[in-house]
Amino acid sequence: MSQPVAPVRHVLIEGNKSYHQISEDLCVPTERAPSREWIVAFSIASAFTALYVFAVVWTIWKGIGEWGANRTINWAWDITNFVWWIGIGHAGTLISAILLLFRQRWRTGVNRAAEAMTIFAVICAGQFPLIHMGRLWLAFFIFPFPNTRGPLWVNFNSPLLWDVFAISTYFSVSVLFWYTGLVPDLATVRDRAVGLRKKLYEIFSFGWTGSAKHWQRWESLSLILAGLSTPLVLSVHTIVSFDFATSVIPGWHTTIFPPYFVAGAIFSGFAMVQTLMVITRKVLNLQEYITINHIDSMNKVIVLTGTIVGVAYLTELFIAWYSGYIYEQFAFYNRVFGIYWWAYFGMMFCNVVSPQLFWSRRIRRSIWWTFFLSIVVNIGMWFERFVIIATTLARDYLPSSWSYYRPTWVEISIFSGTIGLFFFLFMIFTRVAPVVAIAEVKAILKVAGDQYVGPKARKGAHAPVTTEVTEKQQEKI
Amino acid sequence: MQHQDNGIWVSVDDLNREASFLKSAEQEFLLDELAEAPAAWTPSRRDFLKLMGFSLGAATVAASCEIPMRKAIPHVIKPDAIVPGVANYYASSFVNGSDYCAILVKTREGRPIKIEGNTLSSVTAGGTSARAQALVLSLYDTRRLKYPGKIEDGEVKKLSWKALDEKIKGQLQLGGNIRIITHTIISPTAKKALGEFIAKYPGTRVVTYDPVSHAALLAANEACFGVRGIPTYKFDAADVIVSFGADFLGTWVSPIEHARGYASRRKIQSLGNPAMSRHYQVESYMSLTGSNADMRIQIRPSEMGAAICTLYNEIAQKTGAPAISAPALNEKAKAALKKAASDLLAARGKTLVVCGTNNVMEQIIVNKINDLLGNLNSTIDFSVLNNLHQGDERDMMRLIGEMNAGQVALAIVWGANPAYELPNAEQFKAAFAKVNTRISFSTILDETTLLCNYVAPTHHLLESWGDAEPKTGHYSLIQPTIAPLFDTRQAELSLLEWADSPNLNRQDEQPYYQYLKSHWADEMKAKQSKYATATAFWDMSLHDGVFEVPPAQRTVSFSPNVALNAAAVTQPGAGAVEIAFYETVNIGNGQYAHNPWLQEMPDPVTRTVWGNYLCIPVEWDGKKKMTGWMGLEDGDKVEVEVKGKKHLCTVVRVCGQAPGTVAIALGGGRESGGCGVGHGVNVNPWLPIEGGFIQYFAKEAKVSGKVGAEKNFACVQHHHTMGLSAKDAESGQTINADEQVLAYQGALTDRSIIFQAHVNELASLRQKMAEFHKHASHLNEQTLYPDRADYFGTGLKWAMFIDLNACIGCGACQVACVSENNVPVVGKNEVGRHHEMTWLRIDRYYYGDLENPRVVYQPMMCQHCDNAPCENVCPVNATNHSAEGINQMAYNRCIGTRYCANNCPYKVRRFNWLDYTTADTFPANEERLFRVEEGDIPFYADNLVRMVLNPDVTVRSRGVIEKCSFCIQRIQEGKLTAKRENRPLEDNDVRTACQTACPTGAIVFGNINNPQSAVSQAIKKQEELAYQVLEEINTRPGVRYSAKVYNA
Repeated sequence: MSQPVAPVRHVLIEGNKSYHQISEDLCVPTERAPSREWIVAFSIASAFTALYVFAVVWTIWKGIGEWGANRTINWAWDITNFVWWIGIGHAGTLISAILLLFRQRWRTGVNRAAEAMTIFAVICAGQFPLIHMGRLWLAFFIFPFPNTRGPLWVNFNSPLLWDVFAISTYFSVSVLFWYTGLVPDLATVRDRAVGLRKKLYEIFSFGWTGSAKHWQRWESLSLILAGLSTPLVLSVHTIVSFDFATSVIPGWHTTIFPPYFVAGAIFSGFAMVQTLMVITRKVLNLQEYITINHIDSMNKVIVLTGTIVGVAYLTELFIAWYSGYIYEQFAFYNRVFGIYWWAYFGMMFCNVVSPQLFWSRRIRRSIWWTFFLSIVVNIGMWFERFVIIATTLARDYLPSSWSYYRPTWVEISIFSGTIGLFFFLFMIFTRVAPVVAIAEVKAILKVAGDQYVGPKARKGAHAPVTTEVTEKQQEKI
Repeated sequence: MQHQDNGIWVSVDDLNREASFLKSAEQEFLLDELAEAPAAWTPSRRDFLKLMGFSLGAATVAASCEIPMRKAIPHVIKPDAIVPGVANYYASSFVNGSDYCAILVKTREGRPIKIEGNTLSSVTAGGTSARAQALVLSLYDTRRLKYPGKIEDGEVKKLSWKALDEKIKGQLQLGGNIRIITHTIISPTAKKALGEFIAKYPGTRVVTYDPVSHAALLAANEACFGVRGIPTYKFDAADVIVSFGADFLGTWVSPIEHARGYASRRKIQSLGNPAMSRHYQVESYMSLTGSNADMRIQIRPSEMGAAICTLYNEIAQKTGAPAISAPALNEKAKAALKKAASDLLAARGKTLVVCGTNNVMEQIIVNKINDLLGNLNSTIDFSVLNNLHQGDERDMMRLIGEMNAGQVALAIVWGANPAYELPNAEQFKAAFAKVNTRISFSTILDETTLLCNYVAPTHHLLESWGDAEPKTGHYSLIQPTIAPLFDTRQAELSLLEWADSPNLNRQDEQPYYQYLKSHWADEMKAKQSKYATATAFWDMSLHDGVFEVPPAQRTVSFSPNVALNAAAVTQPGAGAVEIAFYETVNIGNGQYAHNPWLQEMPDPVTRTVWGNYLCIPVEWDGKKKMTGWMGLEDGDKVEVEVKGKKHLCTVVRVCGQAPGTVAIALGGGRESGGCGVGHGVNVNPWLPIEGGFIQYFAKEAKVSGKVGAEKNFACVQHHHTMGLSAKDAESGQTINADEQVLAYQGALTDRSIIFQAHVNELASLRQKMAEFHKHASHLNEQTLYPDRADYFGTGLKWAMFIDLNACIGCGACQVACVSENNVPVVGKNEVGRHHEMTWLRIDRYYYGDLENPRVVYQPMMCQHCDNAPCENVCPVNATNHSAEGINQMAYNRCIGTRYCANNCPYKVRRFNWLDYTTADTFPANEERLFRVEEGDIPFYADNLVRMVLNPDVTVRSRGVIEKCSFCIQRIQEGKLTAKRENRPLEDNDVRTACQTACPTGAIVFGNINNPQSAVSQAIKKQEELAYQVLEEINTRPGVRYSAKVYNA
């Protein structure tokens, strides 16, 4: 009989890594010269970022009229993209905070990248409330600051103002959490670096020495931040959903929006994490840290949240019918069979039908299926927001004002540009910081007898540990 | 109580007479700190640095930000009448060919900026039209001719007036035939001037035609009654109205006057006795008048003669008159006309049959019908003739012959544009070229002026003196409200100058003014006895703007010598597709095509802007689809061929367009002169001429299938129906058609937007509305928020009432709103993208039978909700509620998130998508609106055009939301007036622009907390028919509508 697998938990990092090996594996991507793939990909991302900058300057210079929005559909791709990106930004915090509190230790393989993704997604999202303003240069009006304009204050009734607070809070806490986690790792990089590089990392690692006191404070801070972030995961998208739920427009004015939005956000966030992780682990050769088990676990979250979202869609339709309220009924009828029917069916297929494939263990553990479906889910979630925003506005109360919306090249450029910006930032991140949390991974390394190589070492020490897990054990995990 | 003698105490300190309080109370303003002498200031090093830093920074900022400099030069000597900030109103008249309106011109700081109706006129009675409202903008048209000159290569080579006069006088003295081509002239003094000119040059003849002809009506009246004139039609006295293609509310004869009379019989006088007239309209296309009709009788244009004969025969049968052999008519129309005939006969003497065709025999038969019905001298009054249409195109045709024969030596074109307006414009152009000297008085370089040798540009109407006699005994004065902007000269003066008139005092500063005044002293004063002196009479007439003489009674009888000849009426055509041509309320036959306000005013029926569109019928597949004829969609391009001439036309689907017919408006495709160039197609060459009269239909039109689609099809309304019914092909049952189309029952007709019912079903309508109101109230009571009735229940609370039965959809209010509130013009492309900026729009919904629907117009503007959805979603409090119930916009605070516009259930908020007004921070991004030629500056960038802006209303910059403010500037002015005069606010102190523009009094505005105010009274009168749109969503609108009632 080979080495028995510990019944407490099975191994999370494969390859029978030693502590040094982990430092090597995870620090090297920041130290070696960029690969040709990285350079090509980075150039493309930079080009899209440049397109983004151009389209945004164009919008500011010429006016919002360069977009396809109109007197009836005043929000379209702008807010669709905003909600989409904010949704994507939910996985990071969920993985870091909630899974930390729930002691899901498998999270360590992906939490760093997911948190980074969160921050970059929120950066992308945060652009839209700004650039969709008619007068961006007066954006500071949305902050409640003492001013010389008499007793002029912001409107605390407005969900848009709540958005300002929700998103800025979420962004600050996410950045803090992410950076706190980074500090010991940056110190590791620092210790390996020389010259100017060493000096810079010295600054960024805040003089981390690895003393017990440091570790103790670090642990406490991580826990506190996790505690702070946990409600944020729920609150941010709840507040974003209030942008719609507190309006009087049928199709927006629904009480189901907060839970529905949160589930959708986690759903899309995990899908985006999958997209990124599948690429990253391959490109940076981290298959042993971000294992099939991670992908499997995250796919389970996707199928769960996808199903919640599906239930929410059906509930909406039911409530619209049950309400007996003609405007609501028509709004949902129109959503399904109206002018944008293709967007609704696209959404239904991508968000509700496609994740059901993940009930199959084989698909769940297939890299290609995962990659493909994660993209499908993200397309579906984009459709969801478009359906909610544009379809609803296009057919509201007064039929005389009904209209149709088509994006212009400016909006398409801005959207594809934010995707470029997102990858631009993420790729820089992979070059300057370890994409997997070194310190945290080391903490979950299995350092039992299998690592022991001294006298009376057991036979098979240092041999690769089997990762085969029985169904029974799987359930325990 | 020891302090009882102390009337007021402001705090406990006061009550207790604390010493410190008493000390401070001595000072009215608490300036202790400031009152102290400041300590001597000893500058420290830090202070020095602070000052240095600030001054350097400030200097840098100031030096780098270039602020555009605009000069404002004060008067050296202030003119008496001009008080900055105070408007002056001058009575004047809007006269342009066949259009007349008595107006007041509002001027601010010497600039005319707004047209109001003159309530003293008994013709228009304070009503206006869209055309009249847009008058001020044409004054500031950048393409106006700026000096006289010789025209070479399409350009005006400048000449001095003296040089021009010499040249023209030289030509005039050569002798030969002189022809003056005009539209109808209704000015007695201008006619006198013309008389002098003719006396001087006896070879002169005035040739008059109208842009849209009424010549057959004149000819028929001459034949039947011996009076070559158009009588007064008393729509207010008519219980039953039958109109054969006469668009009497929009364009026919005297629409403002007709609209008022008509609407007075459409408003529900009392619920028990509605006393509503019944209106039949026989037509092929959906005209503005037809859209208001209770019953439309659809025919092909060529069946008009048959329809008239059929009605005649029905009437003749009952009145014992001889029948005539009517041409074939479709069965549906026959049956409907039978019903019309019985209605007419039942109300003999109180009915009115009018006819808009240009066929003499048809008009004669209609006259006979009126005779048989006893309408002559009752609803049709020849005592007061309408002078607005005196033209006769046959005269024009004769002139073309003369010119071709080389018999005309000199031609003067005055106000007319035959090179565009005539169906045979090509012939005219060829013949006109044979005239030796061609002179134009035009204010712009239009198609005809381009063909002239000389142009002697006349003043704009608002710079002119003049008079008018639109109807017998109704005189009206025109006075200038601004000094001439350019080196122009009034046409009358040019004529008198060239005629060497002895009656003209050339030394006078304003010779024509003296001429006019002396004419009034000589001719007009004698018509009255109220004023003894000519000066008093003149002053009062000028003040009032109108002078009316009671008419002498004239009764007419149908001449027994006139024989009815059914063979002379239009015979039904055999063509597969017939086409009708019609005049729109905004563009006319192109006379108004260069006015951006009118171009951007959506056509009341098609809701399209900037051009003319081919109206095609809508077909019902019997199940659940409404399709355009031949499967065409709105915005598709088709090739239309009439009389062998082809045009690419853009299609718009119109419910109520008769099957097998299409229609297109006149006035598109202008080639020269202004912003109308390049919009639409010129259909004048398609108009047939029969018996010398221009016909406004063609019996055969070839319409190709779809050949393309217009890129920026500009239509402000995409959905058009509100409860159309149709027959289900299988079951034969009447079903709700537009909900079939939307595939959803209850989607439209159950919405609380329009309530409509038959006049006989008012009781059930009232019950339905009461139930709805109860339901809505129940829903609205489920709120956590306290009722604010006490808050709004005291003081002023502004509200509006709109009577949908009186609203005819003419659009005067919309243009008035644009004019009053500096609403920008955005151009066709932007309207096509649904970026129009109109604060007030008139929603048009079809209801009733799908194949032959009725129409309801609903003016829709900000509803000023007391529980406004827009207000609570603005993150920066840019929109909020006043204590007087007004939803206010603070433009400076708006950052343009547009959440308010999304959350507005009425979709009345407008966002400045681009820099439409050139009020933006960055001047580089101003939208070129008209894209006519390179180098065009944006519409509002020109200082000349900017003169039209109302200085009381902020010009909004890019990126902010705007919307109807209930004319807050007028409210403020009214409140101040009342305050200054130390009296309570009265209804007349505040009247909104839309309200004053309305010719039918459909809009009432005022303080609803005053039970005596007009708005309270109007709502009270309509108690059970008044409703708030979307009441059940608890927005609590300040605007109420009345249910639409029809009398079919």
